[in-house]
Amino acid sequence: MAKHAITLIVNGLQEELLVPSNMTLLHALREELGLTGTKNGCEAGECGACTVLVNGEPMNACLVLAVELDGQQISTVEGLAEGGTLTPLQEKFAELNAVQCGYCTPGILMAATALLNRNPQPQEEEVIEALVGNLCRCTGYQRIIDAVMAASRQGGGR
Amino acid sequence: MRSSEPKLVGQNVSRTDVVEKVTGCAVFVDDVQFGPSLLHGRLVRSPHPHALIKHIDVSKALALPGVRAVVTGQELKARMGLYLIDRPIFADDRVRYYGEPVAGVVATSESIAVKAARLVEVEYEVLPAIFDPVEAAQPEAPKLHPELGDYSVANFIFPVPGTNISEQFKIRKGDVESCWEGCTSVAEGRFRLPPIEHVPLETHTSVALSEKTGQVTLWASSQSPFAMRDMIAQGLDIPHSKLRVIAPLVGGGFGGKAGVTMEACAVVMAQAVQGHPVKLRLTREEEFVGTSVRQSLVSDIKVGCDQDGSLQAMELTYYFGGGAYNDYGVNIARAAGYSCTGPYDVPNVKADSLCVYTNHPVGSAMRGFGMPEIHWGLEQIMDRLAEEVGMDPVEFRQINCVRTDDEIVSGMKMTPIDLEACIDKAAKAIQWGKKEDPTAPNKKRGKGIAIMWKAPAMPPNPGSAAVVRFNEDATVNVEVGGQEIGQGAFTVAAQIAADVLGVPYEDVTVASPLDTKYSPYEWQTVASRLTWSMGNAVKAAAEDARKQILETVADHWDEEVEDLTIQDGLVISFKSEREQPLDKMVIYGLPNEDFEGWKGGPVVGRGHFMPTYVTNLDPETGQGTRAVVHYTVGAQAVDLEVDLETGQLDVLKIASVYDVGKAINPDLIMTQIEGGAVHGMSSAYESLKFDQNGIVLNPSFVDYRIATIADIPQEIHGDYVETPIDDGPWGARGVGEHVMVQTAPAMANALYDAVGIRFSDLPLSADKIYLALEEKLNQED
Amino acid sequence: MLARPGLPDFTYLKAGSPQEVFKLLHEKGPDIKLLLGGTDLFIQMRDRDEGPSTLLDIKGIPGMQDIEFDSKSGLKLGAGVTLNQLSVDEHVRKHCPILCQSADTVGNYQLRNRATLGGNICNASPSADMAPALLVYEAEVILISPDGERTLPVGEFWIGPGTTALKSDEYLKAILFPPPPAGAAGQYLKLGRSKMGDLAVVGVAVLGYPDQDVTAGIQFRIGINSTAPTPYRVEKIEAGLAENPLTDESLRAAAVEAMKVSAPIEDVRATALYQKKMVRNLTLRGLKEIRARLK
Repeated sequence: MAKHAITLIVNGLQEELLVPSNMTLLHALREELGLTGTKNGCEAGECGACTVLVNGEPMNACLVLAVELDGQQISTVEGLAEGGTLTPLQEKFAELNAVQCGYCTPGILMAATALLNRNPQPQEEEVIEALVGNLCRCTGYQRIIDAVMAASRQGGGR
Repeated sequence: MRSSEPKLVGQNVSRTDVVEKVTGCAVFVDDVQFGPSLLHGRLVRSPHPHALIKHIDVSKALALPGVRAVVTGQELKARMGLYLIDRPIFADDRVRYYGEPVAGVVATSESIAVKAARLVEVEYEVLPAIFDPVEAAQPEAPKLHPELGDYSVANFIFPVPGTNISEQFKIRKGDVESCWEGCTSVAEGRFRLPPIEHVPLETHTSVALSEKTGQVTLWASSQSPFAMRDMIAQGLDIPHSKLRVIAPLVGGGFGGKAGVTMEACAVVMAQAVQGHPVKLRLTREEEFVGTSVRQSLVSDIKVGCDQDGSLQAMELTYYFGGGAYNDYGVNIARAAGYSCTGPYDVPNVKADSLCVYTNHPVGSAMRGFGMPEIHWGLEQIMDRLAEEVGMDPVEFRQINCVRTDDEIVSGMKMTPIDLEACIDKAAKAIQWGKKEDPTAPNKKRGKGIAIMWKAPAMPPNPGSAAVVRFNEDATVNVEVGGQEIGQGAFTVAAQIAADVLGVPYEDVTVASPLDTKYSPYEWQTVASRLTWSMGNAVKAAAEDARKQILETVADHWDEEVEDLTIQDGLVISFKSEREQPLDKMVIYGLPNEDFEGWKGGPVVGRGHFMPTYVTNLDPETGQGTRAVVHYTVGAQAVDLEVDLETGQLDVLKIASVYDVGKAINPDLIMTQIEGGAVHGMSSAYESLKFDQNGIVLNPSFVDYRIATIADIPQEIHGDYVETPIDDGPWGARGVGEHVMVQTAPAMANALYDAVGIRFSDLPLSADKIYLALEEKLNQED
Repeated sequence: MLARPGLPDFTYLKAGSPQEVFKLLHEKGPDIKLLLGGTDLFIQMRDRDEGPSTLLDIKGIPGMQDIEFDSKSGLKLGAGVTLNQLSVDEHVRKHCPILCQSADTVGNYQLRNRATLGGNICNASPSADMAPALLVYEAEVILISPDGERTLPVGEFWIGPGTTALKSDEYLKAILFPPPPAGAAGQYLKLGRSKMGDLAVVGVAVLGYPDQDVTAGIQFRIGINSTAPTPYRVEKIEAGLAENPLTDESLRAAAVEAMKVSAPIEDVRATALYQKKMVRNLTLRGLKEIRARLK
């Protein structure tokens, strides 16, 4: 099977990869780049655990081919905190106990970061619409909504 | 003098694991890196719910380049189990559920493994399958386990050889038959619920490595690494010392990762390719089809009371659909048996709780362990009886709910609880009695209440152990075998250790991953038992370490231990006001005067806990001195609306109150209450669906829908009361399962209040509700 | 058979022009599939563990992601326009608001950054959320082949579940929306099992506009999905509504008639009876809502 030499700009760093045609961005990130923060939850675009930002827009990495994104900017959860400093969104998630098992958390953080970037002062209903594609089995979601709203009050996008 | 008031226990300290989780650093099994020698496994699964295996041909699969091994159950005469050793690792002479592993392929890439799995040829002879537990319990049903009589079984489980009944638990208390005549009101009904799935966000994943030394290492997403090691060691005849289980953080368990699912398959596959780690990771579809389920249940309940509404008699038969292999399932049927009445004081009880083999996926532990299943019917029948006798449902429960020291269904005295307070608080929070208008003209609104109880369902001797060690800088390592599955177990362990030791909470780390090679023993992370049992062990270990420190310093200062304490990492004397930092002395000890010798040395605290008072129950009557260690109780009230044009439900508010004994971390309890309420609500809509051939019709998120962020109630009001038990840390006991047990029947009761229809079968789909509404309207016309 | 992990093997190619597409379609025949957003295609490939040997990405062909508006010919959307893209576009929002409303109900925000209108139409799912709006706006698909372009009403493009009128050397280039009648108001009513993010168990789009030439004074268009092999209009019912005075009874009768003509199949999502009842209830809700808005 053919392999493609591509460049992905991941969290600001230029990464050169050699990927087969059928490798999704999810597998490229996790297996070729060792960036395991992005999770595999269903590989069907339903659970959102693999949400990353492509040129700032949230997408399910399980439904995009790596080869389609040659030259594009990818943001993952590993790129949120700078040095040791968490973003306001990460801090609020921690502070408000909006995290339990943590498996859905990276995907939710990416989807919520994108929301706050395009809509810095969302209504609760807009938070819900933005996150309906992110499933969580542990928290019951209310704290997640609260954390996003709290972060928005602190100018939480990035 | 040491203050007896805890400083950190009872505080909302932040979770120990939250920063790694929000930065993406948290490591789950699939994140562990194994390098280029990693091989990939794939299971070949049965397309039939019940069939003999006539022949397996692996030659084409083996011939595919990149395939390193193909294993089957043909030569492997291995069975596993905790209570009933009935489950083969790979199917042996037959398959008993759709999706049962028949073979395992190991290859150099996942892609090749997928191709190879399709090349394994299996010849089946289809057998008649049975899915309904009531039918399967009948003598003429096809027998799924003809050798049931030969299986090893724990001495408190009673299978019926020659049938599909793997456990039969009986309660014969008082004289139920003679009561019915004297009852003013009697209510009777049959209730049903289908199998549902745990649906953790992280699917089951394991990596197994078998080396020529005989050492086997298994990385697994596991709630209970020690139980996993024990079962696989016994099943595959590997000495415990040669089998090491490493369990990193778990991305959701809910009971589905409590025991062994497919991890033994990974070990067998690894043994076929010695020296290479083999990764076996379930897809989401496999997670729906091939992992354990919450058992289906058909419950027949008859209950009667006198004219004051006081319960007199209950007659119950529980038919649990145990699935193809009933290992955990038998204990679920047992637990449902000795708690069969629900949290009520009923003097006369006749009950039979059966676990029955069916050709469905393996029925096993799921959050609540039999309690959600039985409360679905119990809480509705109590509402019906209350209506029959003309009483308000809250008042009915206040009169009949169990109280501390009551003799309960199994004959033991009820352990300390205050269910009345829970009912009171939940009823007040939902504004019980106040009829409220629906939010739109096409809707109807109603309120319902349901109460619950649950005891940890364990063998009589489940133990916890813990170790507390220091680093040179006086930071602390807490070592436990209890797993962090999101519930906050590590946080509670750190909190208890820091509190007892007198060190800052931030200085305490809990060792992760769990590793049977290094971690102290923990029976299992199930049964909402860790705060209580592991908490006791951690407390004891911290007290042991504290004692060692104080004795060394007291000796060094020539003072009495009673006059010393530790605060913020400093030993302080009340008498002399001298201070000694823990820094360094916890490893190096303290020098005598003029360095003439030293005292102390590396401080290692150890502790363990195991209940010693649980007794057997009479197999004919179910009576015994002490069936369980303790009960936790709670009440939930639901305010909901139904859209008359679509049948859709909208849960407006859930009020949820539990008696936790002692809130070690109050906010973490709230997170369990909130998550549990949504999980409980979701469980009212969930159902695995099968066609008439037993094939799963909805093995994906598209058609097995769980609550999304858009579905949650507008408000969850959580609260707790604290009635301590005598052997929990500060009186604490667990609540992680209890918080979802009775949400579904509370919703059903609210729905009855709204539209006057009772739904005895789950799921509460909009489809079912709407058609029932229309039928009722037509009947009324 | 259960879905496989990851995708089956294939070769990815990218086309820069229609000619490249025609060449490859001609060379590879049925062994090639065209790729836009992939949200349906990849899932199908996983489910079946099979797929074409070649995937040809046509997103990059000039015009595929363009949105153009012309007051005479209307709105033209390239087949590769994503659902999020069209949802926020000022022209679409102004002239075909039901399309935006429908798009917003599809899946989730992440999926809508990939899912395209063209891909949705070519997937030809009987329960496509975009379909009812496409039908009531009387959209037309522009198909391109080596012989040039042809236009087809979208209702004629869908032949059966998963089957379209595309010829073997053709692909969908753009979708045309003639300017809706003056004063039109519309709504897409969707019933899913979850409040958001689900497929349509039943979906109904109702468009109404003032029309002095009909007795009712309002002309309705009704598009329905999930209850027949393809999404459909109910022209006879629409005519019946138009030819009579507009009353609660006439609206209800129309909704009941829609229920009668619907032909849902019983499936894992809902019983056939419930689906039929919901056709009635959603149609009635939609008709009442639009009547109220047009008053």
